[in-house]
Amino acid sequence: MSERPSYAKQMVGSLLAAVLLVLIVVALVTAKIGPGPDATEIRERERAREERLEERQEMREERREDG
Amino acid sequence: MEDLIDQISRGNVSQVKTVLASAIVVLALYQVFLMAVVYGKLKLPFLDGRAASFTHRAVGDTIVLLALIVGFMCIGYFEVGDGIEHARDGESGRAAVHVGAAFLLFAVLALKIVVVRWWHSMGRFLPLLGLSVLVLFLIVWATSAGDYLLGG
Repeated sequence: MSERPSYAKQMVGSLLAAVLLVLIVVALVTAKIGPGPDATEIRERERAREERLEERQEMREERREDG
Repeated sequence: MEDLIDQISRGNVSQVKTVLASAIVVLALYQVFLMAVVYGKLKLPFLDGRAASFTHRAVGDTIVLLALIVGFMCIGYFEVGDGIEHARDGESGRAAVHVGAAFLLFAVLALKIVVVRWWHSMGRFLPLLGLSVLVLFLIVWATSAGDYLLGG
């Protein structure tokens, strides 16, 4: 039967395996999500976000008035 | 806070969270494999329990850090109540399960860390706590990143 690698090698190997797993998952998930938004999309999102913030603010004010 | 998170993720908050959450889940599964080696359930010619235990602790610290970042992004950007109320039609149930499981996950994770570091007499519950953390991570992932990736 072959001897086990040294403790340091086992540690480094098992940590590298974790890093490799993360890299594979990041690559797979990023490929599934696709490329990031272009400038137009970012502007549209910004507009939608501002609308959402205003809506939230209105909801908070309504809650405050109700409460 | 919203602006900061938006800037850091360059407007891709959900996507960044999805990538980080998926990395956490795969690391959590790797943790189970490592503990199987530590407890001797899995005997490997190239890895013994001591090295597996060290890596389990190092990977666990990384998972906690990543989970805190994702949790911070989640609460800072979407907020708890608004996240549920603003969920798409018919999705508020999923969002509520996600929020509930996430809070429970952080509670169990905190308890596990306390048991590992200080409350050694409760050490016999560590396998149960570890499996609970894994199950909660899977639920939290499935009700957010998994749902997003699978186009739910």
